[in-house]
Amino acid sequence: MKKWYEKSGQEADVVISTRVRLARNLSDYPFPVKMTAEQREKVEQAVRDAVMRGNSSISNQFRFISLDDISQNEAVSLVERHLVSPEFISAPNGRGLLLTQDETVSVMINEEDHLRIQVMCEGLDLEGAYEMVDRVDALLNESLHFAFDEDLGYLTQCPTNLGTGMRASLMLHLPALQESGAMRRVASSLSKLGLVIRGIYGEGSEPVGAIYQLSNQVTLGLSEQSAIANLKSIAGQLIAQERAARAELVKTVETQDQIFRSIGILKSARVLSSDEFMRLISYVRMGVATELLTGISYDTINSLIVQVQPATMMLTKKMTTAERDALRASTVSQRLNVT
Amino acid sequence: MKCQMCGKNPATTYVKIIVNGELTEYALCGECAQKAGYGNFLYPFALDFNSLLGSFFGNPVPEMTDTVRCPGCGSSFGEIAQSGKVGCAECYNTFRDRMMPSIQRIHGNTKHFGKRPSSRALRVKPEAKLSVAPQEDTELSRKRKELREAVESQDFERAAVLRDEIKALEGGGKA
Repeated sequence: MKKWYEKSGQEADVVISTRVRLARNLSDYPFPVKMTAEQREKVEQAVRDAVMRGNSSISNQFRFISLDDISQNEAVSLVERHLVSPEFISAPNGRGLLLTQDETVSVMINEEDHLRIQVMCEGLDLEGAYEMVDRVDALLNESLHFAFDEDLGYLTQCPTNLGTGMRASLMLHLPALQESGAMRRVASSLSKLGLVIRGIYGEGSEPVGAIYQLSNQVTLGLSEQSAIANLKSIAGQLIAQERAARAELVKTVETQDQIFRSIGILKSARVLSSDEFMRLISYVRMGVATELLTGISYDTINSLIVQVQPATMMLTKKMTTAERDALRASTVSQRLNVT
Repeated sequence: MKCQMCGKNPATTYVKIIVNGELTEYALCGECAQKAGYGNFLYPFALDFNSLLGSFFGNPVPEMTDTVRCPGCGSSFGEIAQSGKVGCAECYNTFRDRMMPSIQRIHGNTKHFGKRPSSRALRVKPEAKLSVAPQEDTELSRKRKELREAVESQDFERAAVLRDEIKALEGGGKA
């Protein structure tokens, strides 16, 4: 069964993936910040029962992973695959994850809220992802009592999630907007519209690989549908701007040179650090999108990006940084040379 | 602790990210967090709570005077304001009046609109609710309403103008 990062979807030249997550809390327990170890266990059990024993076709697709039972490496790999937040693995005690085989649906238990139900899919598909997460929410709601208030909506540990508890985000590849120095302006105008954009692989305003995450911020007073329509409309404008900027950029010989150099290095390097890979694959992705490069698919690129992240590489075997950089180079060269 | 990005201001926002396969925590000041896309709402939120506390009890707030505790989890309003984390569902009833201005500021709204749990889910609703954040018909609230409408009709240029006007009004009120 293919995972989301092994496929490419709508608007794949700019949109890598779509994620929608819902924050939910059980009304019978305090929020995680105030929970005892015993209460954590009870919440975990209650959520597991609700998922596994639900009489829905999706119930039997889930497996349970307790953070207490896995290595630091496996935990970091979950973050690299965007299944859980860095926050989630920072304190594993009594935290668990329900995950479908295709890694599309995941439920974080006892993170910032009792439940974080998440659906992830390739390309731009906010409606599809919401529909799915809505179904999982309904399934859980059959046996769990969620904390809800007439005025404040779903109650959450952090007031920034009150209301729908929904955070919808798009992972966007924006190399041309980044190159043109427009990102800061974009970020500040987006924040005025109740959206936020940030880098995903690193801090600062220039994330490695020009991969950004665009999400809604306002969750109270705006229905799920409105928030999604809003996000989608802004994303549409960003996508158009990025495409226009790319078209201009690839006319320059400097950019063309960067793109062809990048594919050259990726195909033949013997040692490749994670940072260098992310920087170069970003140019290659732009090269594919502008049809300067052919024969490389977005799903090859998307899956490579996940596959050669440090912790994910070490899932099968512990390695030194040097060993990893060598293996990364050979993996990348194999995947890109087949075509 | 100083901000790890600018090295100047005190750190107020802690961001956990994965760098090269390692879980790393960065301590950033509000300004740098904002630049990196992290504190857009949390930053003013934390400030808001503090200033709120200030106006309620005088600054600095002695923990001793904060005698009201949530019957559900024992949190005081001071604890919630400091951590930015609410203790339990009941806290929202206990401290509703004090939290409402911050909630309004984060979301620009105070009334949920959207999905509801099925009828079997417990509805947390106070028996006799005290007056909650009266919706006065000020210029500010009118502008907020207009902003909502502008966003819903996807008139984002107008929305940006309104958001600036609202910011100016809010700033003016505080000065």
